[in-house]
Amino acid sequence: MSGTVQMEWHQTPGNQVDSHYCPSCLENMPSAEAKLKKNRCANCFDCPCCMHTLSTRATNIPAPLPDDPSKTTMKKAYYLACGFCRWTSRDVGMADKSVASGGWQEPDNPHTQRINKLIEYYQQLAQREKLERDRKKLARRRPYMPLAFSQHTIHVVEKYGLGTRLQRQRPGAPITSLAGLSLKEGEDQKEINIEPAQALDEVEPLPEDCYTRPINLPEVTSLRQRLLQPDFQPAGASQLHPKHKHLLIKRSLRCRKCEHNLSKPEFNPTSIKFKIQLVAVSYIPEVRIMSIPNLRFQKECQVLLTLTNPVENITHVTLVGCEEGDPEDINSTAKVMVPTKELVLAGKDAAADYDELAEPQDFQDDPDVVAFRKSNKIGFFIKVVPQREEDGDVTVSFKIRHDFRNLAAPIRPSEEGDAPTEAIWLTHHVELSLGPIIA
Amino acid sequence: MSYCFFFWDPHSGAVVCVESEIRGDVTIGPRTVVHPKARIIAEAGPIIIGEGNLIEEQALIINSYPENIMPDTEGVEPKTMTIGINNVFEVGCVSQALKIGDNNVIESKADLGKNVILTSGCIVGACCQVNTCEVIPENTVIYGSNCMRRVQTERPQPQTLQLDFLMKILPNYHHMKKTVKGTSTPVRN
Repeated sequence: MSGTVQMEWHQTPGNQVDSHYCPSCLENMPSAEAKLKKNRCANCFDCPCCMHTLSTRATNIPAPLPDDPSKTTMKKAYYLACGFCRWTSRDVGMADKSVASGGWQEPDNPHTQRINKLIEYYQQLAQREKLERDRKKLARRRPYMPLAFSQHTIHVVEKYGLGTRLQRQRPGAPITSLAGLSLKEGEDQKEINIEPAQALDEVEPLPEDCYTRPINLPEVTSLRQRLLQPDFQPAGASQLHPKHKHLLIKRSLRCRKCEHNLSKPEFNPTSIKFKIQLVAVSYIPEVRIMSIPNLRFQKECQVLLTLTNPVENITHVTLVGCEEGDPEDINSTAKVMVPTKELVLAGKDAAADYDELAEPQDFQDDPDVVAFRKSNKIGFFIKVVPQREEDGDVTVSFKIRHDFRNLAAPIRPSEEGDAPTEAIWLTHHVELSLGPIIA
Repeated sequence: MSYCFFFWDPHSGAVVCVESEIRGDVTIGPRTVVHPKARIIAEAGPIIIGEGNLIEEQALIINSYPENIMPDTEGVEPKTMTIGINNVFEVGCVSQALKIGDNNVIESKADLGKNVILTSGCIVGACCQVNTCEVIPENTVIYGSNCMRRVQTERPQPQTLQLDFLMKILPNYHHMKKTVKGTSTPVRN
């Protein structure tokens, strides 16, 4: 953590995409490759019927030997099958393949050519807009600012995804994704003209038996099945082709104010650990509910809570009730009396479980306040008086104030030699939901 | 007290484990395997099970009385429950359907009501409850938490490999129910 200590809970920290991976084959891929493949995995497919992952199954089919057509040997044929809804690739007429993976092609979109042309045209348009803005900005800006990095131009570049010369595809080839790479300077400005879309007067009429033909319900696709394939949107189940599986992302979080990394996961998709994990739970004492007696309307009850100290040094905690008109106190439905004395929590000792000869620390707890003490945890009582006799949970809130020592910050070299790090006092709002009132 | 007809013969008979509970008038065809802890209860009428069926653990096949009729009402005719060949009743399923055809698969924890009739090649998915009053058309697959349906083009394959394996291996680890082969007098269990 940097020099400032700030708890990020009211604002959501900035999200950034960290890495892409496929949820079924757990293959990692860099962001550029993911964009090229439209965020889809190359090997895995989704069932078009129930959206689960398809598995490849093999059967033995007799096939004639190439040398001697009269004899047949068993050859392996592979097809895709869904374990959940029992859809198979044979249902839509896809022939079995002789290779286990890589043989499956997605059907071509008939509008590919037109869409490619439109994309090219708009990329050129965006480039022109960018040049115009740069010209205007250059007139006002200081001369040593680089041309390509103004805020506006970056947005415009990303608007239609300018492609480089290498990426511009020939018409008729499959559509590449809108990779946002900036255009090189000095690119030739070939004029691209597109024909405007033409509105037709005559529309294909509906078939004559449209109203009389009985519906074959299993053949009709559901809206969800249809819209998952926006290229074709098939109305019949026999045209539902499997699509490649969508990739998932791992994201990293940043503080909005100081841009420091808060949470950065491991790159490897099989690992759930973090490279950087700065979570409040590892610095702030944790309040947990241990036991709740029967709560009665307007009768004082004693609730047992525990406080756990996550850090290794001794922490002092003071609890304070919320004042009238506290803006954070919106949900409480009961009055609460918290202990007034300061509670001391021992540091977390990793070896405490194994070291039986450790001397118990002498803290001189008041037995009315502290119920028990166990290494870095204490149990204490609060008194709750429910104020509202209604359905719903009894909610109490109070403030917890504790000292925090930033051990991660570099210790400034001072004249006294080993100066202990200074304690910062932090206050947090705590809200507890204690369950319903028992009449 | 139960009267059961079944033929235990490793080559052509049914394999019924002794820990399974079979009550009432139950006929089990050859090459059928009944796992331990399966329950086949013929309360309101006999049950006739065809050949090549696989009834797994904790499956419950019950020919029960309709809800509004007391067991000892007079004038109630016993209805026979018929189960065809090559069906699979997976672990924990409950079937009260009176007529089941061939090559069906009733997956784990599925629940079939009394008024359902399964034809052939149907697959009732895991945890699906089907208690409508209808005949399920051939090759239907019922799946998902909302019991969505679709029709498949192929019927599920009969589990011949699994049946052969079980018929060899189960007698090594469990005791089998024995009966006299081919008699017409009922045998006490």
